Amino acid sequence: MSGKNSDNENLSNSQNEENALWSIVGYLLSGLLIWGGIGWGLDRWLGTTYLVLVGMLLGAGASIYLVWLRFGRD
Amino acid sequence: MGVRLAAEEGFQPPSTADFELPPVFADNPFTTKPVFLVFFSVILISTFFILASRKASVVPSKLQFAGESIYGFVRNDLARDVIGHEFMRFVPYLFTLFTFILTNNLFGIIPFLQFPTMSRVSFPYVLALFTFVIFHYVAIKHKGLMAYLKEIMFMPGVPKPVYVLLTPIEVATYFIVRPLTLSLRLFANMFAGHLLLLVFILGGEHLLQGAIGLKLVSPFAFAFGIALTFFEFMVQCLQAYIFTLLTALYIAGALADEH
Repeated sequence: MSGKNSDNENLSNSQNEENALWSIVGYLLSGLLIWGGIGWGLDRWLGTTYLVLVGMLLGAGASIYLVWLRFGRD
Repeated sequence: MGVRLAAEEGFQPPSTADFELPPVFADNPFTTKPVFLVFFSVILISTFFILASRKASVVPSKLQFAGESIYGFVRNDLARDVIGHEFMRFVPYLFTLFTFILTNNLFGIIPFLQFPTMSRVSFPYVLALFTFVIFHYVAIKHKGLMAYLKEIMFMPGVPKPVYVLLTPIEVATYFIVRPLTLSLRLFANMFAGHLLLLVFILGGEHLLQGAIGLKLVSPFAFAFGIALTFFEFMVQCLQAYIFTLLTALYIAGALADEH
């Protein structure tokens, strides 16, 4: 997806940006969902209430970091 | 509708119950309107494209031109621009997907049919499942199973402890979020659009039966309903396009050699 390979070499720039756009939305969403979900599960298990928030913040942060890793550093 | 008019307890706003249509034949749950619409769409699409391509000539007829425009759009603007030089393998699937979704969406505003098949969530689920299987299969075939999983789970240039944080997100993106957002986006758009039209058209009808003051307002509700029908036409085309575009993007990602 980085455009370095031969398959995508003839892609226009805007197409790559479109690709990145959809991937970013997916990453941000799944970061929230998966870590928020883990936090929610831990809350149910341990009887606490704040871990779902911790998980969502962690997930949001991690997914932004992931987006930067995938698309930000060139 | 008849029941709705007979009820004298005021306006009943349209609800999810309006999407649960009764079976046509006795208790057979496989004979509801959406099922018939799906079969009808297949007949319609097949007939159209067989007729459009049967007497193909260098100077195309109007029908041939229409058919070729749609095919050309999917092949050039979606498949070739997104996937790259291996695109021809995927054109049949992308073309089928686009025409199938587009036709079934447009059923939502075609008089007498007036039900978008994709507002029943099972249909988008199945379509997303096809895409899901195809892009994973293509990636596994292209890169090998282990290399593909490694590429998804471990992105290079990250300190090892960070993988604990990132790997679940990557796995969830590829195996849960992608198919889920693909199907739910299509479903929710069709569902909401149909509901919106029901509100304005049925609301206008209800106002028409009210006092004289309400009767005067009713045309505005109908006018809004008509305007929204055009808006829905746009959304229906757009959603068919986005579903196909994302499928092509996922396949392109599966064929890309490294991230």
